[in-house]
Amino acid sequence: MGNNGSVERRTVLKAAGVSVAALGLGAATGCGGSGSGAGDGTVTIRYAWWGADERAKRINRSIELFEKKYPKIKVQTDFQDYVAFWEKFQTQAAGGNPPDVFQNAVGFLRKYDKRGILLDLKSQIDAGNLSLKNFRAGVEKVGQVDGKQLGIPVGSNTMSLVVDEKVFEKAGIQPKQGWTWDEYFAALKRIHDTQKVAGDTGYFAIMYLYDLYLRQNGKAFFTKDGLGFDEADLTEWWTDGYNRVKAGIITDPKRVEQDKPKSSLSAGHAASEFTWDNFTVRYTAEGDSTYGLAPIPTTDGKQTGQYLASLMLSASAHTKHPEEVARFIDFMVHDPEVGRIMGYDRGILATTEQFDAFKPSDAPSKAIAQYEQDVAAAGVLGTITPHPAGADTVESAFLRIGGDMSQGTTKVSDAVKQFFSEAKTALAV
Amino acid sequence: MGTAVTLVKDSPPGTAPARLGAPGAVRRRRRGENLAGYLFMSPWIAGFLLLTAGPMAASLYFAFTDYNLFDAPRWIGLDNFTALFDDPRWQKSVEVTAKYVVIGTPLKLLLALGVALLLAQSRRGQAFYRAAFYAPSLIGASVSVGFVWRALFSDGAVVDRTQSFLGLGSGGWVGDPGRVLYSLVALTVWQFGAPMVIFLAGLKQVPRELYEAAEVDGAGPLRRFWSITLPMLSPVLFFNVLLETIHSFQIFGSAYVVSNTTCGPADATLVYTCYLYQKGFKESQMGFASAMAWMLLLAVALVTAVLFWSQKRWVHYEEDVR
Repeated sequence: MGNNGSVERRTVLKAAGVSVAALGLGAATGCGGSGSGAGDGTVTIRYAWWGADERAKRINRSIELFEKKYPKIKVQTDFQDYVAFWEKFQTQAAGGNPPDVFQNAVGFLRKYDKRGILLDLKSQIDAGNLSLKNFRAGVEKVGQVDGKQLGIPVGSNTMSLVVDEKVFEKAGIQPKQGWTWDEYFAALKRIHDTQKVAGDTGYFAIMYLYDLYLRQNGKAFFTKDGLGFDEADLTEWWTDGYNRVKAGIITDPKRVEQDKPKSSLSAGHAASEFTWDNFTVRYTAEGDSTYGLAPIPTTDGKQTGQYLASLMLSASAHTKHPEEVARFIDFMVHDPEVGRIMGYDRGILATTEQFDAFKPSDAPSKAIAQYEQDVAAAGVLGTITPHPAGADTVESAFLRIGGDMSQGTTKVSDAVKQFFSEAKTALAV
Repeated sequence: MGTAVTLVKDSPPGTAPARLGAPGAVRRRRRGENLAGYLFMSPWIAGFLLLTAGPMAASLYFAFTDYNLFDAPRWIGLDNFTALFDDPRWQKSVEVTAKYVVIGTPLKLLLALGVALLLAQSRRGQAFYRAAFYAPSLIGASVSVGFVWRALFSDGAVVDRTQSFLGLGSGGWVGDPGRVLYSLVALTVWQFGAPMVIFLAGLKQVPRELYEAAEVDGAGPLRRFWSITLPMLSPVLFFNVLLETIHSFQIFGSAYVVSNTTCGPADATLVYTCYLYQKGFKESQMGFASAMAWMLLLAVALVTAVLFWSQKRWVHYEEDVR
């Protein structure tokens, strides 16, 4: 959910070495590594996350504050990009040596809960080491699975539609809350016909968007332990998508590949794109046009199917210092100064203390905050779709197979079959 | 991989390999010396057992199990192997790898042989040219070159602009499923230095008197190449074909880095080991990944066997020529 595509050399090198390092050194460092108590009562906890350098800088400044307040707790850090992070984490977790506290996303909660990796933070909340109060719009529920509190949200985000405002304006289109899919695709066609540019970068392969569509129709992408839709549903979704690619309403998938690591929206090869609202800062940085957030199209003119998702902090069930870890998480999500340092880097700040403390000065951040307020005010926010173990693998399969289908390398019917077969395997692991 | 046997065949009588095989020589040694020998070997033996034999045995076992790294492996017999053949991505990975091996290996060897022929002639600055052509092989396996390659072949980068300038169309190779594999082929071909050095050594071995005799008989350069150089070089050629083919099957680093760790776009660089890695370390299907590894070993063994069988037809050892 926080995948920011770019990969740095350092992290790839690390990723390549992960298996070797984890197998070779894991045995040697396994015992002492997971937080050790020195003679004077000082405790060291390990904290790992994924993200770019910018996030690391902010987190390190926050940790300095924490260590000043709790001189007996030292925090050892480690960060990578999204993909490398989870590869390394899986190896560490399998070896019984995950970091004491780490960034987490909803797609991984059940997966690692099933393996007993995640600490249920309820006991620490009851003991008063960690407060679950003052979370905005009930976002703390994102971290709850089967009555356990497995993650504490640091920021919230929601799926959104990013549009090239100049192109939309020239085509005379004004997106509004509650507009329908028919209206949306008619708008894309008009953009294609009048502005000679494709309307969207490829909505059909984004799992989190399809989830919204399914929710609008009384279903969802996942149930607690499987898929919440059938082959007929997906066949319809992908057939429409394929036809729209053929018609030129959607950007040619080859073009999308060529534009990477840029988005085709900021490269000027599309007029809109569905993505998480907190990712939208990238478009202004990448492209020449002006970009804005628009409402998600609906089926019935009202329900968008949206919900607040979130990046979280989770703790390892293997940690020797659950109390210190709980105090650390508490500090990171509630301290106003940390909120000012972190900003909206991991989504709109989750607690009111931090949300009130941070006043965004740049236009994109202001727009994101406004968007989440508008969505909340429209009364369309629902409860997050459950993510069974294996949801992460299903998401990447959906993206990949959807891409193959749109390129025409796989027929829609074969693509649907392949997706259901891969999803079945992934959800059974 | 059995190549040692080939080399022994080449060596004249009385050299080291022949003497080692002398009967009774080892037996006469005292036990203490044996022990010392094993002690000296122990770092290697420990490394072999712990880092090669042990993991191989484990992976052989995992290949017949359902193993997700967390729960205990569950024996499922041949299910992983039958699942392989039903998996379209596995088929795709076989296809991509085969294409890479079949196109990349001959191109690389042709270039290596061609440059070796040029460099075999004595001329000024010979050592410099040899070093210059060999250099890419030294740095070629590193991740940094993968990044350079990705940068070179991206949309709007050097290769793309040169291409558009020459009117050869445009668009990066890295993002094009139809072309990205060829950027990997180009990378391996560029590293022709290692086989080139071996060819050079082989060329030095060809007796000069053969050429002189042929020249006296009026044979032109082409005729001398076909009738003398190529047959005399065939054991070395065989060695290079074998080595490079086996290497090619194991391509991972360049595909992983050039595709930005995705092995894409549209699985266009999904080489065998890349898929194996995804299955094992991203999708937690270690049993399936282990089965894949053993299938790769089988395939490489099969190709090696075919090559050995074929050498009767085209590899000439010195004694046959004389």
